[in-house]
Amino acid sequence: MSAEAARFRFVSANRRVREDRRFVAGHGRYVADIALEGMLHVAILGAQHPAARILSIDPSAALAMPGVHYVLTGEELAGATDQLMNGLDTPNVRRFPLALGQTRYAGEWVAAVVADTRALAEDACEKVKVSYERLPYLTQAEEALDPSSPPVHPAHGSNVLLDKQFVWGEVDRHFAESPRQLSFRVTWGRNSTVPIETFGVVASWDPWSEMLDVWASIQMPKYPDQIARALRIPANNVRVHHDVDVGGSYGVKRGIKHTVLAAHLARRLGRPVRLLEDRLENMRGGDAHGPERIFDVDVAFDDAGIVRSMKMRALDNAGAYAGRAPFQLGKPIGAIVGPYKIESVAYRAQSVTTNKAVQEAVRGFGQSPTNYAIETALDKVGLACGLDRIEVRRRNFIRKEEFPYLIPSGTRYDSGDYHTVVDKVLAHVDYPALVAERDRLRAEGMLAGIGIAACLEPSGGNSAFEPLLNEKNETTTWMESVRINVDGTGCVAVTIHTTSSGQGHETLAATVVAEVLEIDPDLIRIVRPDSLACLPSNTPVGSRMAIMMGGACFHAAQKLKAKLLRIGAHRLGLAPEAARYQGGSVGAVSGGQALDWAALVNIAHRNFHLLPPDTEPGLESTHVMQVPTGTSLPKDGRVQMYPCHSFEFHLVLVALDPVLGKPEIRRYVIGHDCGTVINPHIVKGMTLGGIAHGLGAALLEEFVYDEEGQMLTQSFMDYLLPSSHEMPKVEIVHHCTPSPFTVFGQKGSGESGYLGAPAAISGALNDAVAEFGISFDKLPIRISAISDAVAAARVRSSEETTS
Amino acid sequence: MKIDLEGSETIAADPERLWLALNDPAVLTRCIPGCRTMTETGPDAYKVEMQLRVAAVGGSFEGEIALSDKTPPRTCHISVSGSGSLGHGSGTARFEITPAEGGSLLAYQGAGEVGGLVAGVGQRILGSVSKHLVGRFFTALRKEFEGSAALGAAE
Repeated sequence: MSAEAARFRFVSANRRVREDRRFVAGHGRYVADIALEGMLHVAILGAQHPAARILSIDPSAALAMPGVHYVLTGEELAGATDQLMNGLDTPNVRRFPLALGQTRYAGEWVAAVVADTRALAEDACEKVKVSYERLPYLTQAEEALDPSSPPVHPAHGSNVLLDKQFVWGEVDRHFAESPRQLSFRVTWGRNSTVPIETFGVVASWDPWSEMLDVWASIQMPKYPDQIARALRIPANNVRVHHDVDVGGSYGVKRGIKHTVLAAHLARRLGRPVRLLEDRLENMRGGDAHGPERIFDVDVAFDDAGIVRSMKMRALDNAGAYAGRAPFQLGKPIGAIVGPYKIESVAYRAQSVTTNKAVQEAVRGFGQSPTNYAIETALDKVGLACGLDRIEVRRRNFIRKEEFPYLIPSGTRYDSGDYHTVVDKVLAHVDYPALVAERDRLRAEGMLAGIGIAACLEPSGGNSAFEPLLNEKNETTTWMESVRINVDGTGCVAVTIHTTSSGQGHETLAATVVAEVLEIDPDLIRIVRPDSLACLPSNTPVGSRMAIMMGGACFHAAQKLKAKLLRIGAHRLGLAPEAARYQGGSVGAVSGGQALDWAALVNIAHRNFHLLPPDTEPGLESTHVMQVPTGTSLPKDGRVQMYPCHSFEFHLVLVALDPVLGKPEIRRYVIGHDCGTVINPHIVKGMTLGGIAHGLGAALLEEFVYDEEGQMLTQSFMDYLLPSSHEMPKVEIVHHCTPSPFTVFGQKGSGESGYLGAPAAISGALNDAVAEFGISFDKLPIRISAISDAVAAARVRSSEETTS
Repeated sequence: MKIDLEGSETIAADPERLWLALNDPAVLTRCIPGCRTMTETGPDAYKVEMQLRVAAVGGSFEGEIALSDKTPPRTCHISVSGSGSLGHGSGTARFEITPAEGGSLLAYQGAGEVGGLVAGVGQRILGSVSKHLVGRFFTALRKEFEGSAALGAAE
């Protein structure tokens, strides 16, 4: 990386993250900090049954309470708004913010109570009387495939939202020709990102200007468009304020139903309305759960452990409405073979409805579950061939010189050097010593295991999975824009056009613009205009902002620099090619007199007579960036998905007491290659947070529903998050393979750590219990599951010894 | 989620008095934790209003209680169903009274199901909460007889 970093002044430099100051000092500005004159508060009444017909709603007792203004029901809201957007072609899976006639999961919103305070609204919720007639329900994905299962949406006709079979390459032939095959099933439990800040929105309607103002804890593409469409108002009557800090998201902050509800109430009541979820509302009915997926995998390989072909069936339990869940089966197609040279793949993507809460996008958009399935396959192939699990990966890795590498499903990987990253990690940990440490722990009577995961982070997010899964969708652009303005005093303001949920976009934009213009990043102001003043942008999804916003900043700054050069050259009487831009000044390539920043700014803003002909006054530039690669529609089930592919290699040592079963991570090393790093602190923070998130998915976090369709893990007493007690010290080994498709060679890192940690930790536990002939095939692997499985295995082995 | 309850308690009252008490809405209102009112709506059918708190959530519930298969003064079958904004529940139980040293032995066995917010928030403690509520019921019931015994002594 040092050779790369030497090319840059600010990019890759050890510079502070500018946002951190306000967050650390407690001066972020969140939705909960927005207080408007006359603002009313909303509490939500959730359904108690997994499926029920709503017979009647009687709000009279609630409305009789002083300070209670309104009780909104699904019937009124559905009459006044259009249904929420549905990405799939499933028109009869209709979704409104409040249940209409029928509830489809326990916790689904049934009514909203508006009062002077949130506390009063909550009290009044208890007075709203709803009578239900219970209906049959289901919670299991496999049950949903049965045509006789109770349909969550009777009008849709079945519980199947999506069932698409892809075959890329000669799968049957490769299976027939391979001497070895194995099959297995693994299950990814329903977890999510559960940000500290729940979702919140403030909506205000001004009837005189016919303007809806929205402040929200949002991370959602096309948010203003979706609000306008649902409310049946022109989109230029909606103004979303982006100068709100978002307290965590990683995909789930997509409260469109919250927003439509609050906006409708603001219009209906003529007063600003705030809806701020409490934890219970967020967990039960916030529609922010992540994938819940069963993988059935077959792999065909040879005695040397070379995997030639793979069949994967992914069955996802989407919950009660389509949401974004089905697309999370589509995105992993862009890295369906992981970092391996698997020649052909058959992939069946199935998404079904059940009576559970709705899924939303979660970090990696389905990639981490897929990586868990692929890595489990590699572990099993290694075991079957008697090969070391690192060796089997090395043998299957795409080699450095083979990039750009076209995978069977149509994506061309940009670059990578997987073997070198692995070598660096093994040298860093002293691998034989790590194995010796594991064996020493085992000799002491502990269970100990080493876990390995090698995987990719596709980054630069386009939306190519949408047309791939829904032929009616023809989206081929997923742009991001930046505008730079230099004012008459020479100060620089850069506008970015989305909210941020902790990704450090202000630091990113300032660093890139400063790099190109060769000026001090700390002097650059970053502004987030409201949506009506915005250029087209798609928010930080798909690990894309270093690539896309970074790219837009780069190109806008290049345009500005070119204009400064033209102005300077003209004033100095030089041909443009004879002039040179350096550190904000323009002079002759040959040296001599130069015009500094102030002089150039002065000409642009005040001396039209000194500007080159046909030059607009002022100093302003914009760039609307198209995602590099991936500009065409899918063909034959193949498409170029994301442009860049970061690589991570996890090596973990886990130890546990065989009776207690509580895993303790003794060592955690990750080799990470995300190309050119723009800010090392941001990348480090993403990686550490991602590993913590992955640790949660591997060992702790799950939205559990009981057989009666009730969610049992509604608070942090039962939905367990990793804390500093569980989180180990992480050692990061860097490597830099620049991407040829981006301006600095950068790739994404917003999902780093999370994409491989669950696979690595699972692999470590399986290594630890291998001596008992058992393995775990379902995440999360809770302490109880470990101790029960080990105890049962010990009983079996002692019975065998005695018999 | 499902809840099972089973147990037996000795009460310082003969089976006949205990039976009468257990069929008296006024006594039950005093003894059932959180019970505010209990109104007879028909033969062996009652409507109850309760105010309860479980873990982080609390609230009011309305429910119905029905008695059946009565064999005075020995056994009775009770079915309960109720709901409030914070949850719903239903259950059935059977109790049996037998004479015992120091009064009567009241044995009970029941199974219930609760759902809604209460089930999710309180699931890890619902078992112990329900035992606690049963305990409070019997403490109150014993007090009824201590009271009347004391009263009887004064008369």
